[in-house]
Amino acid sequence: MTTDDMLLEVRGLKKHFPIRTGLMRRVTGMVKAVDGINFHIHKGETLGLVGESGCGKSTAGRAILRLHEPTAGEIIFNDPVLGKIDVTQADRETMMKIRPNMQIIFQDPFTSLNPRLTVGQIVGEPLEIQHRASGSELSDRVAELLNEVGIRPENMTRYPHAFSGGQRQRIGIARALALNPSLIICDEPVSALDVSIQAQVLNLLDELQAKYGMAYLFIGHDLSVIEHISDRVAVMYVGYIVEMAKTDKLYFSPKHPYTEALLNAIPKADPRLRTRPERLLGDVPSPANPPSGCYFHPRCRYAKEICSVERPPLTDIGDEHYVACHFARELSLTGVQALSDIKLEMPAAKNV
Amino acid sequence: MTTEQMAPNSSINLTSHDDVVRVEDLKVSFYTQLGVVRALNGVSFNIPRGRVLGIVGESGCGKSITGLSIMQLVVGAGRTEAGRIMFREYAGQEPPVNILDYGKNSPEMRKIRGNNISMIFQEPMSSLNPCYTIGNQIEEAILLHQTNDKSEASKRAIEVLNKVGMPNPARIAASYPHELSGGMRQRAMIAMALSCNPTLLIADEPTTALDVTTEAQILDLMRGLQSEIGTSIMFITHNMGVVAQMCDEVAVMYMGRVVERATVDDIFYEPRHPYTISLLQSIPRLGRRSGKLASIEGSVPDPYSTTPGCSFHPRCPVAIKGLCDTIEPQETIVDAAKGHTVRCHLNS
Repeated sequence: MTTDDMLLEVRGLKKHFPIRTGLMRRVTGMVKAVDGINFHIHKGETLGLVGESGCGKSTAGRAILRLHEPTAGEIIFNDPVLGKIDVTQADRETMMKIRPNMQIIFQDPFTSLNPRLTVGQIVGEPLEIQHRASGSELSDRVAELLNEVGIRPENMTRYPHAFSGGQRQRIGIARALALNPSLIICDEPVSALDVSIQAQVLNLLDELQAKYGMAYLFIGHDLSVIEHISDRVAVMYVGYIVEMAKTDKLYFSPKHPYTEALLNAIPKADPRLRTRPERLLGDVPSPANPPSGCYFHPRCRYAKEICSVERPPLTDIGDEHYVACHFARELSLTGVQALSDIKLEMPAAKNV
Repeated sequence: MTTEQMAPNSSINLTSHDDVVRVEDLKVSFYTQLGVVRALNGVSFNIPRGRVLGIVGESGCGKSITGLSIMQLVVGAGRTEAGRIMFREYAGQEPPVNILDYGKNSPEMRKIRGNNISMIFQEPMSSLNPCYTIGNQIEEAILLHQTNDKSEASKRAIEVLNKVGMPNPARIAASYPHELSGGMRQRAMIAMALSCNPTLLIADEPTTALDVTTEAQILDLMRGLQSEIGTSIMFITHNMGVVAQMCDEVAVMYMGRVVERATVDDIFYEPRHPYTISLLQSIPRLGRRSGKLASIEGSVPDPYSTTPGCSFHPRCPVAIKGLCDTIEPQETIVDAAKGHTVRCHLNS
């Protein structure tokens, strides 16, 4: 892999939120939402970032765009014009130039669109801010974008409340697409949608990537969705990446016990496969008060003494497979069993 | 469990007389300022005793309203316009009682609600009272239905917390909802629902708000308790994976109607209704990455409008012009022995 192929490199990214208590609002602790994560995204690929709620995956996504100011670390973005730039050090002017190339799609399509703006204004806003288009050129471009995501351009003058959840998410995608970004951070874009609509939006994201070649950082908690959309997957646990590998590798031969537990917990959509595997007990620890050593050790059934003392670093065990576990090379863990292929055919139309 | 339930009833015809609940042609509408929402348009299904029936469908299809109707908790603008809900507390009870004959606040209904039929809701945070301890809230149901002795009630509350796998149940009983995690709260809800040994448990998306590892714990717990206590469960969900793992039978709902009902195996391996098939095709299947997901075109219609003919025809890939868009399909039996029925012209 050549370095030019690299679009985004995140090194040691941290985001800590202070806990303030008492009358003087004194800082009495830190929520270590993101605690030193490393990953990279190649041009045009999709990296899935998966984990349970509170593991810091959304915070990580937002910190990359500096929607949360990172506490520490480097975010090297390969801008098509400016070249490699550390986003954390960029001044206001430089940020203005980088921003068009890094966009975001939010989880909740009901709160991420301004209810007082028309759809045309929402999608056109980034173009105006960046002085890319105005007047009839602007409305032509907006119409084109709406067409692209499957919203009829006639609806440009309507307000968000007139659209269903799936349509609103399409509008959010059109807005992210407006400036031809090279990276889109998708923060759980399909979690709020029904299954049939979810499939439509996933297909749309796939098609747009094939056409425009942008990279996605796809944040999610549904492992089947992540598997479907991602080229590579990173698994987060309490603010730390515990495993990162190519999708098939991660799903079929996981190397971290947490990944194994996560994969085994998915309810399988096949009534003939009713397994009761070893379940993960207990709850995810609080990032304000994490356990010692490897954060997963209190719930891990392979844990040994060293696990409670020393935190394992994320290490490459070959072929872009990164694991943060002391016993990554020794454990033999079970991945997913491929579900049987059930043939589903529509009833044939009869002559009536 | 009551003694009547334990008594063997060999003379009973299992298929029709041993249903805990039989819902017949239930119609519920909401009269709002914007118009009438016909939430349920003639829902019929049965829940066999000791079985888990899954109710599946997308948001707005009426699955939650069906659950609330059985509890008689449809209030405000909602009106039950037609139908019967026949309930048998114990096998072979003749005649069964029609829940809808009782007033919402009648003593008979209050005796059934929370005692014979109880419910678990989706959001464990908003369905527990933040001002009372977990123990208090469980005792409330026990004191209302089972015993007048307060110390006996608190002893039973701790017992039932223990049963749902709470570590240190006495401490949990003394704590408030905000002190517990999401999974723990849902366990407390389940403990509360099971405190009076209900005949039927209605679980309305009990794991939707939970993470996948917690969800797996709760599903394991519910399945274990179900086989131990023998409670019948009506499991409302939109997740096909959960259905496959939890349910014995499935009713698929669309726009306020049950469009297909079958055993869980038949729903996944022999689905007949185009909607069921599309639903199964649109879920990403683990371990099988295919290029494109099959999706259902369009979205669920506006609830204020009524669709002529089959309510699925505008989105159906195999709809027949002139038939599906004009005549409403009736329920047809695909396999009588397994109780597989479908509402579709292509299968009649």
